[in-house]
Amino acid sequence: MTDNALMGLVSNGEVAKMAVLFERHHRPLFRYFVSMNRNRELSEDLVQDVFFRMLRYRASYDPNQSFTAWMYQIARNANVDQAQKRRGEVVGIDEFDDRRPEPASEAMGPEENAARGQDLALLKRALDRLPSDKKEILVLSRFQDMKYEDIAALLGCEVGTVKVRVFRAMRALEQAYFALAGEKSA
Amino acid sequence: MTCDETKLLLTDYWSQTLDEKQELAFEAHIATCEACHAEAERLGVLWNNLALIPGVSKEFEPGVNLRSRFYETLGAYRQGMEAAPKHSLWDRILALWPKQPAWQMGVSFALLVIGVGVGTQLRPDRQPSLNAQPAAPELAQLRGEVSSMRQMVALSLLQQQSPGERLRGVSYAYQAPSSDTEVLSALLRTMNQDDSVGVRLAAVDALRQFGSSPVTRAAIIQSIAKQDTPLVQIALIDLLVDLRAKEAAPELVKLAADEKVNASVRSHAKSAIEKLS
Repeated sequence: MTDNALMGLVSNGEVAKMAVLFERHHRPLFRYFVSMNRNRELSEDLVQDVFFRMLRYRASYDPNQSFTAWMYQIARNANVDQAQKRRGEVVGIDEFDDRRPEPASEAMGPEENAARGQDLALLKRALDRLPSDKKEILVLSRFQDMKYEDIAALLGCEVGTVKVRVFRAMRALEQAYFALAGEKSA
Repeated sequence: MTCDETKLLLTDYWSQTLDEKQELAFEAHIATCEACHAEAERLGVLWNNLALIPGVSKEFEPGVNLRSRFYETLGAYRQGMEAAPKHSLWDRILALWPKQPAWQMGVSFALLVIGVGVGTQLRPDRQPSLNAQPAAPELAQLRGEVSSMRQMVALSLLQQQSPGERLRGVSYAYQAPSSDTEVLSALLRTMNQDDSVGVRLAAVDALRQFGSSPVTRAAIIQSIAKQDTPLVQIALIDLLVDLRAKEAAPELVKLAADEKVNASVRSHAKSAIEKLS
């Protein structure tokens, strides 16, 4: 059964069907929040919040609308709300810097693995330096594998505009990446 | 294909989602345009590496607690729904509400016009006899349904993980009637067990409306010794004074004499004993 059909049933009172949607989407949603906030605990809270909001506002779901776009609209709102609440707190500690090992390939030697790890760490920092709109469009298109049509519905623009924004965000990422690489080698 | 058109197809090219015709045109362009070819290569490496960043790659999983928390919330929500009357008049009214903003505005305007018209016709100076009419049974039923909806929302929110949501649950609890034992027991549980001091304090305030019940007063008295924060203990003592709960005196005497208890709490207890005597 499609997501839209399932959410339509939830909207009509079969709230138990929300469990299926949770199983399908909680991981991508979690990675979306981690990508945006770099905080595991907060991201788990936000995923929980999104599913609760979907239950609470289930009557407002229009089955003709893309479920993915609707869910990410709620996720964006939840993210904005928590950012407003946390304004003034000390945030931005990247918990993954120390705890998560960089991905390594068995085919690579130790030096190549180390170099690859450093490249990815630099790329992650470059991504975090981007303005939030550029970062978000890369997160949605690259990490969440969202269709351009869904991103366009979410952002309220044309598909062509989404493609232009992704391209601009990639260029900005490249500039940030090389700026960081320059700082590092200087 | 122009350079600008090529740029719009870059992500599709990297993701290999171009159709055959587009792919041929794209490759034909980058074979002849050095700048586009170099950009496609450079950005393509970054695009591929993005998926390998730790913390966002597909292997990165949330903790197991997330699932259990979700199912707890879903269970509580379903329980709340089952407790509410099914296919109520309120649900039917909500179902009639259009989803399109334009229709919503239209219906709102029409209702406003009807409301003003009916209100003008039924003004007390024109129809004094209407004042004596009893409320329609549908209205009473509707009020009952709204009340149980509020109860359901309060109970669901009080079980949330986020302190902010639980605070909202407490604020919903204010709208519950003082006879609502389910909301009362949820508030008492929050007062005794919530991790957040702020939420516990809010629950203490919300319990004021249930203060006429001996059960509530006894639970508040017992809760003082269980609290680990002077702030909450002082709030509980103040509440007992406001409720003129004279039966709290023995517990307050014990509290005032206990040297292990925070000094401010003890002095507050002493002053409460005087006020209640």
